[in-house]
Amino acid sequence: MATAAEQWVLVEMVQALYEAPAYHLILEGILILWIIRLLFSKTYKLQERSDLTVKEKEELIEEWQPEPLVPPVPKDHPALNYNIVSGPPSHSIVVNGKKCVNFASFNFLGLLDNPRVKAAALASLKKYGVGTCGPRGFYGTFDVHLDLEDRLARFMKTEEAIIYSYGFATIASAIPAYSKRGDIVFADRAACFAIQKGLQASRSDIKLFKHNDMADLERLLKEQEIEDQKNPRKARVTRRFIVAEGLYVNTGAICPLPELVKLKYKYKARIFLEESLSFGVLGEHGRGVTEHFGINIDDIDLISANMENSLASIGGFCCGRSFVIDHQRLSGQGYCFSASLPPLLAAAAIEALNIMEENPGLFAVLKEKCKRIHKALQGISGLKVVGESFSPALHLQLEESTGSREKDIKLLQEIVNQCMSRSIALTQARYLEKEEKCLPPPRLVDMQI
Amino acid sequence: MNVGVAHSEVNPNTRVMNSRGIWLAYTILVGLLHVVLLSIPFFSIPVVWTLTNVIHNLAMYVFLHTVKGTPFETPDQGKARLLTYWEQMDYGLQFTSSRKFLSISPIIL
Repeated sequence: MATAAEQWVLVEMVQALYEAPAYHLILEGILILWIIRLLFSKTYKLQERSDLTVKEKEELIEEWQPEPLVPPVPKDHPALNYNIVSGPPSHSIVVNGKKCVNFASFNFLGLLDNPRVKAAALASLKKYGVGTCGPRGFYGTFDVHLDLEDRLARFMKTEEAIIYSYGFATIASAIPAYSKRGDIVFADRAACFAIQKGLQASRSDIKLFKHNDMADLERLLKEQEIEDQKNPRKARVTRRFIVAEGLYVNTGAICPLPELVKLKYKYKARIFLEESLSFGVLGEHGRGVTEHFGINIDDIDLISANMENSLASIGGFCCGRSFVIDHQRLSGQGYCFSASLPPLLAAAAIEALNIMEENPGLFAVLKEKCKRIHKALQGISGLKVVGESFSPALHLQLEESTGSREKDIKLLQEIVNQCMSRSIALTQARYLEKEEKCLPPPRLVDMQI
Repeated sequence: MNVGVAHSEVNPNTRVMNSRGIWLAYTILVGLLHVVLLSIPFFSIPVVWTLTNVIHNLAMYVFLHTVKGTPFETPDQGKARLLTYWEQMDYGLQFTSSRKFLSISPIIL
């Protein structure tokens, strides 16, 4: 009975096959052939392989000359003849055994060998030891770190702060945590090397605008807006950032923050402010360039600063809204994958913050000193002063360049040596010439303490 | 790549269709769709087969060729943000077994 039923169905099927229209059979045949072809096709990569013949490959191999592993370096390269400092670099610094007035350290508030800061660091050293031996995720978070983050957030009047253990890595990790491929960053040409490395690591489209030129920035933003209108769907998923420094390390100029905030709201970009030089210097209480201009701190999306200048510690911090800063706890490469700040440095930073909060008069004194030095340095024949009058770091640039960078550097080195022989310690601003995007002309750096 | 394992896979999206048992899971899901459609009393069996085919193709088109990017953040600075799932599979290697499987299944249906 079952076999009869089966056969009956089979007969029906064969009949249906004969009666089926031709196109249907052909289509099914094609599909079956396609399946067989797919099953037997090989896997291959999309990129083109280079089709060089064996002869061409041999030619290329023969032509190749290996470069030396260590390129020849002139004997008087500055990195080979360094000055040795013994003792703390405070108001006076002992260079190569000679005591000089220190114009070369970033110790703006003089907190470097403050006895209170040293006592706090020593107490922490006795309690915790020297290092933390772990990143923040693996038992490297100590109470001093959380304390410092809390204090910094309260000092800057933001919701949260995050600590990095190396100042250079702070902004270089913060930018790639938010800006990815396909995003657009408008950065200043005179941005410091750390920002440039952060921009390079982020793999985003970088658009440089002329130093402190808001008209140039607005032009770039307008061009971007026109591009966005051509493709609104893509524009909705690209993020736009403006990266600026409060006080530029390379030029000593201050960024026009009110105009930046206006541009931010007009063109819907986010501002990342780098306040390494202006934290603890500008503003009535030392809160930086936002306090200097009287701008609400919530207008700035991220403030990043390193603690190696005014706070006389090591490391850096970022502060902003919780929503923004929390993201860096998992995405900030320098936060997750480096050992955390040694607790003695965190305790020193906390004590330095205490001192800053107790004597807000420090900042007025610093400002007055800066103005005095700026005035006193005007009128030196052959050198011009680059920088704002209240900037603690000034640059002395040759008024007329001799034409070649090496000659300029040699001339400046002569000036530095002369000053050293008269017990004044100055230094040349050093740049990695091949790595910088927009190389500034050679100059001397002059810092206040 | 199993769940809960520490892996060095930058974009896990690329290897989902190579996981253990996913082809079986895929066929079971299609079967489930077919059974759900069969349980609606209005449709006759050929219509149900057509509907299964059509709905499967539409769903696959949306998930594989329309939606771009990944539902999670990847550590490669967003390389796959503008790529569809089909382009992401196996990092762009063509004609791998998963791709062939996914190409053949609508033909079989």
